[in-house]
Formats: sequence, structure tokens, C-alpha cells
Amino acid sequence: MAAAHAIRLQIEAKLAQRVPAALTLKIKHAPELFATGVTAVDEMLGGGVPRGCITEISGAASTGKTSFALSTIASITQLSNACAWVDVSDALSPEAAAAAGVELRCLLWLRMSAERGKRVADKSWSRLEQALKATDLLLQTGGFGAIVLDMSDVLPEHARRIPLATWYRFRLAAEQARSALIFLTQSPCASSCASLALRCEPGEAVPFSSNGETPLFERRQYQLARERNRNESTHFMRRKPVQRVSWPAETLWSRVR
Amino acid sequence: MMYAVLHPPNFFAQAATHQRPELRRRPFVVLDGEPPTEMVFAVNKAARSLGVEIGMTRLQAETCSEVIVLPRVIEDERTAYASLHHVACMFSPRIELVEERPGTYALDIHGMGLLYGDAGQLANKLRQSVMAEGFLVNIAVAENFHAAASLSCGRPGISIVLPGCEAHAIGQLPLTALHLTPEDEATFAVWGIRTCAELAALSETDLIARFGQSGKKLHSLACGTWPHLMFPMEPSFEASLVERMELDFPVEELERLLFLLSRMTTTLLERVRSKARAIAALRVVLHLDTKAQHERTVRPALPLQDTSTLLKLIQLDLETHPPSAAIVGLELHAQSATPYRAQHGLFLPQAPEPGQLEVMLARMRKLLGDERVGSPELTDDHRPNAFRMVPFEPPPPQQSERPSSSTPIALRVSRPPQMIGVTLVNHAPGWVFWGGAGYVVRQAAGPVRVSGHWWSEARWCREEWDVRLENGGAERLCRIAYDPRSRCWYVQGTYD
Repeated sequence: MAAAHAIRLQIEAKLAQRVPAALTLKIKHAPELFATGVTAVDEMLGGGVPRGCITEISGAASTGKTSFALSTIASITQLSNACAWVDVSDALSPEAAAAAGVELRCLLWLRMSAERGKRVADKSWSRLEQALKATDLLLQTGGFGAIVLDMSDVLPEHARRIPLATWYRFRLAAEQARSALIFLTQSPCASSCASLALRCEPGEAVPFSSNGETPLFERRQYQLARERNRNESTHFMRRKPVQRVSWPAETLWSRVR
Repeated sequence: MMYAVLHPPNFFAQAATHQRPELRRRPFVVLDGEPPTEMVFAVNKAARSLGVEIGMTRLQAETCSEVIVLPRVIEDERTAYASLHHVACMFSPRIELVEERPGTYALDIHGMGLLYGDAGQLANKLRQSVMAEGFLVNIAVAENFHAAASLSCGRPGISIVLPGCEAHAIGQLPLTALHLTPEDEATFAVWGIRTCAELAALSETDLIARFGQSGKKLHSLACGTWPHLMFPMEPSFEASLVERMELDFPVEELERLLFLLSRMTTTLLERVRSKARAIAALRVVLHLDTKAQHERTVRPALPLQDTSTLLKLIQLDLETHPPSAAIVGLELHAQSATPYRAQHGLFLPQAPEPGQLEVMLARMRKLLGDERVGSPELTDDHRPNAFRMVPFEPPPPQQSERPSSSTPIALRVSRPPQMIGVTLVNHAPGWVFWGGAGYVVRQAAGPVRVSGHWWSEARWCREEWDVRLENGGAERLCRIAYDPRSRCWYVQGTYD
């Protein structure tokens, strides 16, 4: 045993210039978590979305991705953390953000545009390229609690064209900047770079209420499935089963009623 | 302390003819005011001998055919002040403008003997310098400020007063030299007091008994003992924060300019740092080949003391808004402010570093456009989703609690609204054709009629429906709207 220890020390000393602590296991600390503001989801995730990691939220339209992301950003901005929303389709509603409790002064909203790049830019960036560049700049600057890259309206075949190296770069940058990087996509594209992968699914259909003379859209039930969580301790080589949780959301006017 | 006071008699008349010396020997008046109520504002000796006085109307002044009438030009007076100021600055670093006597400057000449000789020699040199600038001037040197000022106004030429002899020196001057109020002058005239010596001979206690505390001041002025606290004029610091450069040949590439801008910014920062201040704004003025000017202002959210950050901001701004022609000259105007100091807390959340944030925002503006970077701010408007973009300036970190409430459903807004086809069934949407696909409307809530600005051209009006659409297995919840003016259906957004 002592001989093995001595050999290990000898090898490490030899390789110290090229690979520091080559044979020593790196202790990985559990990342800090940001609460999402949805109690059921927080319970499933063990506290919320991880900081310094990529969280990928995928799902079709009207499955609650934006509502969930806004709720998470609201929780983070309430802690006075600056957040950024990289909006590929320019689809964010400030009214919905304010209603979700987002501190708008703490939110940097970057609206991509197709029209830009006629006069000053020497290259015509597509919206997605602009968004990736903007995310890169945000991560380099650092200091943001969370950065949301909203690609909800980007077709999956376009999102899949983004090279894997981009996601690896983002993962490292997010770790260094200690920012929670949240992707909203139609189908998963960051693959193993995402520490937490969530899938949004339509929940049980809630019919429009008709208490009055005309029907009114009041509430909706969403479902969230946790597909991967790297920060959760599991038995070696055993994948955790997919967990699902249902959470409700309601329209602004139903609060008044 | 030793004061030298220079006083140009009849300053406004001298200023009016400063650029036209041929008029000095001829009778002239300077008129001030709006026509036709102009009044004589200044008059020279020749005109006075013809009977023209200050306060006369234009018509009265023009009755003397020989008198030349000049309008008052403020710019000429400023030039005259600047010339006198320039000369005064050559003789002493501490000068003060005597407000109540136009054109009069007081110089603190203490310790200037090594450069200019004794008081007499200094006064001579000063007078020669001022006369070389084209002004007739009286100089008085005394230990007492007011005595020197009174002497320079009341006695022509050069007057040197030995220490302790102020009362004797100003004794023969008329009381008007003390610059008294008209009421006091009238009172003394009634008493038969004409000169300073006569006023100084009065009992101080009796004067105070009749005039109050101002009596003490009048008596001390007449004795040449009234103290004065000098407030030397200091050159404006903000005005000095300018750097100019002219180029030998026109330059088109911004990269080449950056070397010059870097040097100029560093110089400005050094000047600003010497006063423990920072740069709050930088105005770049580029003189173009076409005689036009291209002006841009860089205003970081917080005052900066960092050359590289400021330079990067200028570069990004000029790249976003490039000049239209080649550059032949450049100016850099800085505005200083107190540097930003933040008290960070160990348990407060992290925030972007101000300098880096500013550069990042400038890069984003270059990439996306000015209107597409910032924080949203809701506006007080009935129109749904009305907002405006404001600069991103996160408030200082502080802990706060979130009020617990249910999660609202977010609407993803379609900007601009997409046109769709809608088939109505029983006055409600039954089928929706959007993006080449047909959707069955499973549920519809509405219509919600909204309108605004009906009083103006910008009026808007629509009927909104919340619909649950289904196409095969896919389902989506949308807000669609009918615009009665264009008779078209649009998708306002998707609930997600």
C-alpha cells in the first residue's frame, strides 16, 4: 500500500508540469441552486436550477417553457442578481415578465433582429448567430446570475446545426462566470453539456371556464419531466428514472376574479 | 499682502473702440437697449465736452451732429475682459475681478519682486503691458485692497502707497472714489463732506450712531483700513478638459485614429485624476474633409478612470455610427465627475463589473442596434404589451423577499403580428390556417374588444380571442385578433 502511494506520488511529481494532480480524484462541489419559484418543481430538483451549469428546457409550443423560465428569472432577480434574456425571436412580453415578478431593472433584454446588419455590420448575422454571439459576450463579461437563451421558436433542425463545441464552450464559460445558463428549445440540442435537462409536456387539458356568459381562458396544467440531473448523486452506471411533476399556471385576469 | 489694482477708466467706451482706435479722438457714444428706447450707456471725454451725458436718449445724443453713435457689443466687452485678464495673469497667479468697478482687476503681488522689481517697477511694467494691448489704465499699489481700488479709480497714472499711509494717500480723493451707495453720497453731500479725509476725520462712534454698522465700514474705507478677503479667480477645470488635434492629411480608417484618441484620452485622464475625479462623459468631435462635423458622445453609466475602457467605448460607438467622410481634425471634450465608489458586501449577490458591463453593452448595441439592448419598462398605456426600452442599469444589490403568488401563464408575442386565415362557425373561430397548416379550434374564449387612441390618427381597435388549436396530436394555445379596419385576422402571440 505504501509502495503504491509512493509510486503515485512519483508519477504525479513527474507529470506536475503538464497535468497537475494527475492521479488524484477531483472533488466536485455541489453547485449552488436557484429556486424556480414553482414549489413542485423545486422539490423534484432538490432546490432548483444549478448555478454555473447549463439547464436545458425543451418542449413544443404551449407547454409552459416560457412561464417556467420567467418564474425562475423572477426568483433570481428578486435576490438582486442581474439576469439576461437573449431573445432569438423577439417574443418576450414585458407585461408577462412583470406579472411573473421579474425585477425588470435587473433584466437585460437582448432582442435579436433580422433587419440589423445593413449599414454597419460587415457580416449579416442570422438571428441565431447573433444570439450565440450575444450569449458569448454575456458569459465573458460575467456577473449575471442567470442567462436565458430563448430558442423556443427556432426549428429543431436549425438548432441541431449549432456545433457541439459551442455548447462545450458555453458550459466552461458558465462555470467560470458562475451563471445559470438556461436554454429554451423545442428539442434537446446541448446533449451532454447540459447538467440538467428538463422536458416540458402538455398537462391534463383544463377546459375554459364558463361561469359568465362567455367562456374565459383561466388556467392551464403543465407537466415537467426531469430527463437528466448530473448534480444528483446516483449509483455508479445507473441512470435515474425520469421523474415527472405537474404544476399549475393561471392567466393574469384570473387573479382578479 | 500687497495689492496692485489696474483700472481702465471709462471701460465700456474703451472696449467699444478697442478694435477701432481711429474713433478714440473723436466724440462718440455707446447706446444700449432695444430700439427705439435706446439710452446712452457710455460716452468718451470729447463727447462729454459737447454736452452728451450717460442716460440720454438716442434722439438727444444725435442732436450733436459731430457725435458718432455706436451700438453696445457684448462680444467686444468680453474680448476686452479677456485681454486684461491675460495681462493680469502674466504678473500674478492670484488675481481677482473687482465686480463693482467694470474692467478692474486686483493682483496680489506679494513675492513678485524677484521677477518684476519693486512695486513701482512692477506698476510701470504692468501699465506698459496693458497699454500695449490698447487700453488706457490707472495703476495703484497699496497694502489695503480698497485703498488701492479707490486710488486707481480716482487718480490717473500710477500711484504707489507706502505701508501705513493709505489714509493720507486717499485723503484728497472725492467720496465717489469709495463707490458709496447713492443714498450715502446724498447724506454726506448734505453734511458737506466732500473728500475721504473729511469723512475719516469724523468720529467713528458718531457715524455708527447715525448709519448703524455700515457707518463703521464707511469710516474704515475712508481711513484705508477696511479688510478684504481675496478670492482669487481660478481657471475653470471643466474648460481645461479639452484636447484638440489637426491631421496633416485626411484619415479614413478609424483604427489609425485610435492611436491619437488613446493619447488624448490618457492626457485627459491624467488631468482628471490629478483632481481625484473621473470621466463621466466624452464628446468626440471629428472635423471632416467636407467641412462638416461628426459629433458623438460616450456617456458610461458610471464615471470611469480607465483609459482602455473609455477607448473601447469610443471605438465601438464610432464603428456603430461611422463618419461620412475622411477626418482632418479631432477634438475630445471630457466632463468630469466624482469617481464611483461601491461598498461591496460579502453576502450580497454578484453583479457585472461596471467597466466591463459598459463595454459589453456597447458591443451589443453594435451587434443588435440601439433600440434592441436594454431593460424593458412598462408604459402607462391601455395598449396591451406597451413598453419601452431603457438603458440597463441594475440597481445596487440588496436582499429582498419575493411575494408568494401563483405562476402566471406567459404570452410569447409575435412581433410583428402574423396574418392568418380564420373560418368562423357561429360567429366564433372554427378553423385557423397558419403557416401552411390548418388547425381545428377546440375551444375559443372571446371576443374581447379593445381599442385606444380613437381621437387621433394612431387609433387602434381589435377583437381578441383566446383559442386552443389542434393539428394532429399537437396542440397550442394562442391569442388571435380580428382587426375591423383591415378586416384581417392576426396571431398576437402564443401562450407558453
